[in-house]
Amino acid sequence: MKITICLGTGGVGKTSVSAATALSLARSGTRALVLTTDPSLRLKTALGLKEGLTEQRVPNVEGDLWAALLDVNETLDEAVRMNARRGTEEQILTHDVYRMIASSLSGMNELMALERISQLMSHGFQNIVVDTAPSRHVLDVLDKPLLFADLSASRRVKLVSRTYKFVEAMGLMNIGRNALEVYARAEEILGGKLVKQILEFYSLFYPVAEAYADRARKTGELLRDPSVTEFRIVTTPHKAVRDADFFTAELRKRNFRANMICINRAWLRPLDDAPREGLAKDIAGWYENVSLSHKAAIAKVKATFAGSGSKICILEELARDVDGADALRNLETQLQSC
Amino acid sequence: MSAQARVIVFCGKGGVGKSTLSLAMGLKLAKAGRRVLVVSSHPLPELAVGISLNGLSARFPEAAKRLFVVHIDPVEQISELVQKHFPMAMVAKAVLNSSIFQNLISIAPGLKEFFFLARLQQLAERKSPEDAGTPSYDDLIWDAPATGHFLTTLRAAKGFDTYLSGPLATTGAELHRFFSAPDNLRLVAVTQPEDMAIAETLDLAAGLARDFQIAPAIVVLNAVSPLCTADPHAIAEIESAPHTGAMTFAIDRGRAERAMCHQLALDLPAPQVFIPRLAHRDDDRRDADLDLLDEVGSWLDTALFT
Repeated sequence: MKITICLGTGGVGKTSVSAATALSLARSGTRALVLTTDPSLRLKTALGLKEGLTEQRVPNVEGDLWAALLDVNETLDEAVRMNARRGTEEQILTHDVYRMIASSLSGMNELMALERISQLMSHGFQNIVVDTAPSRHVLDVLDKPLLFADLSASRRVKLVSRTYKFVEAMGLMNIGRNALEVYARAEEILGGKLVKQILEFYSLFYPVAEAYADRARKTGELLRDPSVTEFRIVTTPHKAVRDADFFTAELRKRNFRANMICINRAWLRPLDDAPREGLAKDIAGWYENVSLSHKAAIAKVKATFAGSGSKICILEELARDVDGADALRNLETQLQSC
Repeated sequence: MSAQARVIVFCGKGGVGKSTLSLAMGLKLAKAGRRVLVVSSHPLPELAVGISLNGLSARFPEAAKRLFVVHIDPVEQISELVQKHFPMAMVAKAVLNSSIFQNLISIAPGLKEFFFLARLQQLAERKSPEDAGTPSYDDLIWDAPATGHFLTTLRAAKGFDTYLSGPLATTGAELHRFFSAPDNLRLVAVTQPEDMAIAETLDLAAGLARDFQIAPAIVVLNAVSPLCTADPHAIAEIESAPHTGAMTFAIDRGRAERAMCHQLALDLPAPQVFIPRLAHRDDDRRDADLDLLDEVGSWLDTALFT
């Protein structure tokens, strides 16, 4: 069992590097799967990915490579359909609070990734590369994979939702006086309608959260096991110094280290026929400028992480006409030669 | 002068340069003698802004007096409200520390966004009594969160009858009024000539049109190749000459960027402002970022933005 988690901010080509990482594993003879959140259209085409929650074999590449999409809303909806009390599914799915937690509760992406990883493991995938959402908070899931469970299924919240039900059933009677006081005060400030809406949602939703939390707990334990999980930081030269510092520090806080720092889309080709006038000169200047800043950033990261145990891998940006499966293969070759 | 500052909003995908542009615009306006407030919703505001404005008062002492940067933390706003509502510190503290209250706040649909916008609107209209003694602003710049969260935030100003019927009704009505008037916002969509960034810009425009009937007033294309702004004759000439290696790559890349900018102009009709990818500089100098902000500013025409 091996899980590789690719970390990085937006727009660094994290999905491509994740897919190339999975391709490496597949080419070494194991069946591998890349779980991705939001691939660009080009990559989707390259991977032959169709919408939906099922895992798909990637055509036109050597090796047993699979890909699956992580759709946060779909995954959560699915969890509701599987775990809600019968007859409450629609009420939950159309509830205002539900739409809110699906779209704006921080950590939801990571939690749904856990859910998908556990599904994929149960489908027999032993090598999973996770292309995480482009967030700096992605590692929170290692600290509190139960955030969601905490929120919805902890004793406190159950108390509140029960309180609500009891309040409905028997008026303001003798349970959870403390909870009721806070509830009443929150109502004073935020309005009764809002508070009622939230409590009503909790009382519907907690069976889903409980069932979900159980699986998330198990997957979370696996992710915290260094013999199973590896971390790879993906960044671009421009962001390399900041991203590498940030993510390695976050990993260190949790007693992990990055096995590899991939600096993607580097412009390293030397300019051998530098033109001296007109637009050509501007373009050459532009290229030189970018290339120079790339080299400086790479040198800095290399100096900072020398001897840290994190391998630094530089991936050159491809010309734009290299596309699809070819681009994937090229990236994989570059990764292999690191 | 108008009774309120119009809010210039820099919005777009994460990492396209919204914060840099917000600060560059702020610095440029401040240098031109205006009082400017940059409102950040960046998750690591102290870090980013602190570094960028390092050495400001030494380099631009006059502008430094007129340029202000704040970070609005909605949870702090809610705490303030609770403290105001329960003057007894003990009660306020008990409510704020209660996990039930914290859970309510974290899950209440749009609550944090609601409080963020309320503060933004107060700053724009200078209505907060706490601010009685503090300076007012000619321009307010909102360094907005990335597209998805930005749209969620704007949505909080509309359609939440939940808030409009409760104790927050007055604030809710004010928000609705302020954010429904298209003149109060000047939306600047920031993007880069990259597939994902362009796709997200179009999503942003579609979301804005659908839910708010507003359109970006300006599109800023950041970090572009010289080919994006070059004269067609010069381009034809370049393309007819033979090239090798890195030069082929650079031209190819520049041409792709140019095509993306043109396509975007067709899909999203708004004036485009181009900012070239700026020169590499020595990051080790303490005020290096100020040079960058100043140079970015030189590409921004204040008349277009304000």
